[in-house]
Amino acid sequence: MKLADLDGQAQEILRLYEYPQAAMLPLLWLVQQNLGYITPESAVWVGGLVGVTRAHVHEVVTFYNMFRTEPAGRRELRVCTSLPCLLRGASELLEQIEQELGIKPGETTPDGNVTLTEVECLCACEMAPMAQLDERYVGPLVGGAVESILQDACAEPGMPETTAEPTPYISSDGPVLSTRLANPDGVWMDGYTAQGGYQAAARVLASMTPEQVIDEVKSANLRGLGGAGFPAGVKWGFIPKEGDKPVYLVVNADEGEPGTFKDRYIMERDPHALLEGMIIAAYAIGSHKAYVYIRGDYYRSAHRLQRAIDEAREAGWIGADIQGSGFDLEVVIHRGAGAYICGEETALLTSLEGGKGYPRLKPPFPAISGLFACPTIVNNVETLACVPFVLREGAARFAAIGSERQGGTRLFCVSGHVVRPGVYEAPVSVTLRQLIEDHAGGIRDGHQLKAVIPGGISAKILTADEIDVAMDFDSLMAAGSMAGSGGVIVMDDTTCMVEALAAAAKFFADESCGQCSPCREGTGWVHRILQRITDGAGRLEDLDDLLAIAGDMEGNTICVFADAAAWPVQSYISKFRDEFEDYVSSGRKAETVGAEAWQS
Amino acid sequence: MAKLSIDGREIEVAEGTTVIQAAEELGIYIPRYCYHPGLSIAGNCRICLVEVVNNPKLQIACNTPVTDGMVVRTQGDKAEDGRRAVLELLLANHPLDCPVCDQSGECDLQDFYMDFGLYDSKFREQKVKKNKAVVLGPHVMLDQERCILCSRCVRFTDEITKTGEFGIFNRGDKSELGIYPGDVLDNPYSANVVDICPVGALTESDFRFKARVWYLSSVPTVCNGCSQGCNIDMHFVLDRPHLNDGARLARIKPRYNADVNQWWLCDEGRYGFGWLDQDRLQRVRNGSGEDATWEQALDAIATALMGAPAGANGDRHGGARIGVIASAQLTNEELYLIREVLRDGLGASVSAAVPAAPGSSDDFLIKADKNPNTLGATLLGLAGPEAPAARTIVDQAIATGLDVLWVFGHDLVELFGEDVVRKLADNVGLFVFSGTNDNPTASFAHWVLPSAAYVEKDGTFVNCHGRVQRIGKVFPPLEDSREDWRFLLQVAGRAGVPFDAQNPEEIFRHLAAAEACFSGLSYATIGAAGASVRQSHEAPLDARPAPPAAGTP
Repeated sequence: MKLADLDGQAQEILRLYEYPQAAMLPLLWLVQQNLGYITPESAVWVGGLVGVTRAHVHEVVTFYNMFRTEPAGRRELRVCTSLPCLLRGASELLEQIEQELGIKPGETTPDGNVTLTEVECLCACEMAPMAQLDERYVGPLVGGAVESILQDACAEPGMPETTAEPTPYISSDGPVLSTRLANPDGVWMDGYTAQGGYQAAARVLASMTPEQVIDEVKSANLRGLGGAGFPAGVKWGFIPKEGDKPVYLVVNADEGEPGTFKDRYIMERDPHALLEGMIIAAYAIGSHKAYVYIRGDYYRSAHRLQRAIDEAREAGWIGADIQGSGFDLEVVIHRGAGAYICGEETALLTSLEGGKGYPRLKPPFPAISGLFACPTIVNNVETLACVPFVLREGAARFAAIGSERQGGTRLFCVSGHVVRPGVYEAPVSVTLRQLIEDHAGGIRDGHQLKAVIPGGISAKILTADEIDVAMDFDSLMAAGSMAGSGGVIVMDDTTCMVEALAAAAKFFADESCGQCSPCREGTGWVHRILQRITDGAGRLEDLDDLLAIAGDMEGNTICVFADAAAWPVQSYISKFRDEFEDYVSSGRKAETVGAEAWQS
Repeated sequence: MAKLSIDGREIEVAEGTTVIQAAEELGIYIPRYCYHPGLSIAGNCRICLVEVVNNPKLQIACNTPVTDGMVVRTQGDKAEDGRRAVLELLLANHPLDCPVCDQSGECDLQDFYMDFGLYDSKFREQKVKKNKAVVLGPHVMLDQERCILCSRCVRFTDEITKTGEFGIFNRGDKSELGIYPGDVLDNPYSANVVDICPVGALTESDFRFKARVWYLSSVPTVCNGCSQGCNIDMHFVLDRPHLNDGARLARIKPRYNADVNQWWLCDEGRYGFGWLDQDRLQRVRNGSGEDATWEQALDAIATALMGAPAGANGDRHGGARIGVIASAQLTNEELYLIREVLRDGLGASVSAAVPAAPGSSDDFLIKADKNPNTLGATLLGLAGPEAPAARTIVDQAIATGLDVLWVFGHDLVELFGEDVVRKLADNVGLFVFSGTNDNPTASFAHWVLPSAAYVEKDGTFVNCHGRVQRIGKVFPPLEDSREDWRFLLQVAGRAGVPFDAQNPEEIFRHLAAAEACFSGLSYATIGAAGASVRQSHEAPLDARPAPPAAGTP
């Protein structure tokens, strides 16, 4: 394979974008898929196609951790060691895999078959401990599944895979988001329309003004479900009414918050719900071009959403003059390449434009100057998937399901030490206790709840005494935490809080984009102190130093990543100070944990 | 306009002004690393955090636009704690190798640390290891560990040179500044990244370990490397010969001038100063190659210039036939003396229109004309369409034999060939060469006068955009060399055409009085930033005060 052979495909990719530089990530993907890694020549080739120097191509290549600058094995086995997987045995899993393959993470087996990579959260905590073999997610990797995945990894090319498809619990009871999530193979155009799909879009395009749509979404109290909880209708209303610049709708499908795995199910099992929501949103904000930014690890989501886009185009729901309404909408899938920060909406836009995922200074906000300096609305997958329901069933019904200032339901992602990890749809007024005890089957046998993170790893931790709180944005904020992405990470009494915090700190150190000095230096510093503590060389002063560094990072950076990195430090240490002091004093985790390994 | 208060002082500034700019207008300097007025806003270093009253979070002054009624505090616990926190974090992985860092003494990390450092580090971890002493190109070295990733250099090569060599690779605390592996930082403006680097990450190869910056003195002047006339500061060391390998001039730094070069300087100008301390003419030399005194030389030259005693035809000076090949490297003051004394006083044929192959140029600062004062020579009528060409004078000298040919600095051997110069030496009564550096032409001259270099004298140049700019005398003339204006005045006196001035400023006063386009200008009005001749030229002539009585002979 030579670069010149890729010219035709490269030109097709370039045609999808308004500006050549935006094609940076897809072109790098094209190179890596065909050459195995980003060769020096291909950095020059891509730079020439998109109009930047090879230094800038190299910046992008080295920023995203899925791009390689060196050849790798025939297959890549990526083992997640983020907190939710650690809680369910990822350390032992990785150790076992290292032994079986005879290599360490970052190495390739001598026969060139398998490269082993240790990765941060792949957002599949419902199948923890899990791994990704090339494009495929597998888990939980316990018992025979470990042997099975190793066999697949080392098998001759073309051999059928032996590892079973994961079968985690995924809610399918509805009422809003999960009614079509039962089928692992997904619901497609026929099934979707049979259940009332595209009726809302049809009604909107035929008989509603954009203002009416925005009003409807406002009165539904639909909040942004990516994590910030900003009212969606209000956000749409920020798009300037007059202006000659194109307006963009960008879907944030860069699901990355550890403990969160809901958007993947929407895209894989009910992709038309997302597309219908996008059509309605695009109509409301006057956009004719939408990009769906999907995290790079989510190959299947991208494949399946593309299939839905193709179906929708066939059926006249995407393209020019949708259903004869005169409204046009093009949809392009844009794949990320491994950077948590790209879930931050302005970092996502910078990344989409072909740069490193550096968040932007605000103002201006994206609604005024976003993608390609044009008015842009960035919405999360789940938020948009709620929109067809709102317009079909009515804002009043949606609002009534939820709490006072937040309508509807959420797909709560419950992981960690519960009996049944999975995706649970529930009204946002559900309490944390109900989610854990009623939905997820409670804490595994013989153990007690110790702590829970209610909204993804960035959220402040809650103790077992603090779980009688409703899961809507306002209630959790009042409780001193946040609803965030809806990722509920449950820890029982085997959990060592020091090691849990060390895992969180490692995540933030790995994922800081490095742009702002307080975050770049602070996350690394916190990580190294906690690593020293868990290595048994902690000092009591370290605890106050950690709190001081967290305080120095918080609120002093371009985006809230630094705050998110500070909150776990502050909340774990303040709520479990005794345990931290015991650990530091004795150089190891507390005896109270018992003989059982904490990740058992 | 918006009215705001900063540290209790009120100021009214235009809408769109940022807090850091408004503070600067008040003389309040807010610390900054990533902010640079010549580059886009990055907002990444966070050291310029200020308190904006009624805003719960500290704001970065570089990117916060002023609003009417805004109350800003750059001092006080809140803002200072914020800056202290940022500084502590910036220093967490910094190697603190100040004792061996060239930036020491002019380092913003050091300076701000003196203001609000913690002095008691709580950092006990292993620092991140990165590459040190990386050669990026002919002029610039990189220490990745010292780099605070402010991205000024990245923005410079993206926005100013548009060459895009720099990048910040990787992410988090593994982020490192660099150029593409195997690439070379050799754009014509590469060393500017050293100037704008706020720390010791980017340093000059040329200046590396030459001298501690606190031993350097600085004088503002103008680059003579081309007709752009970029404003510069010359950093030099005279009293510590053990530093800087014994050379006087240590380095050149661009000096901000909004109308000429902003903050920048090309590498050609910055590193084109080797001639100042190398192969200089240091002694007066006679035609036999022996050292002589200035008195001997000036007497002999004056005698030859005066020619035969005044004759019956009324020629004041007996009609010596004189040719002068002047130079656009000379100051306006010197060119004016040449014109008044040699051309108008003694009847010399004078040309500063010397052919030169155009040098490299671009659409930014670098001009093809490598002379700093071609426009000055033109305005004075010694170059340009009205002036005779140098070649004409040379041909005339060979054909008819001149009494005196005086060449200022040029290498005629290079210009016209050795045979031509040999013929000149044979046919001309007295062949005088004055210049700063030795060259093949000098060896044919009957008198060789060592000229002071332009950094060894005062005067003015007119750049290609018509801006009169003062050059500053940085240090005294080397050894026995002498300023051209000084020996021209001395020759004038001896040759019976005295010129009433003692120094360049007085010569300029005469010049400004006599030349319309310089009218109204003085050293005071030119100042450090220069003044446009065209502007004064465009002023209505009749509105100008009558020129004072000319002091010319």
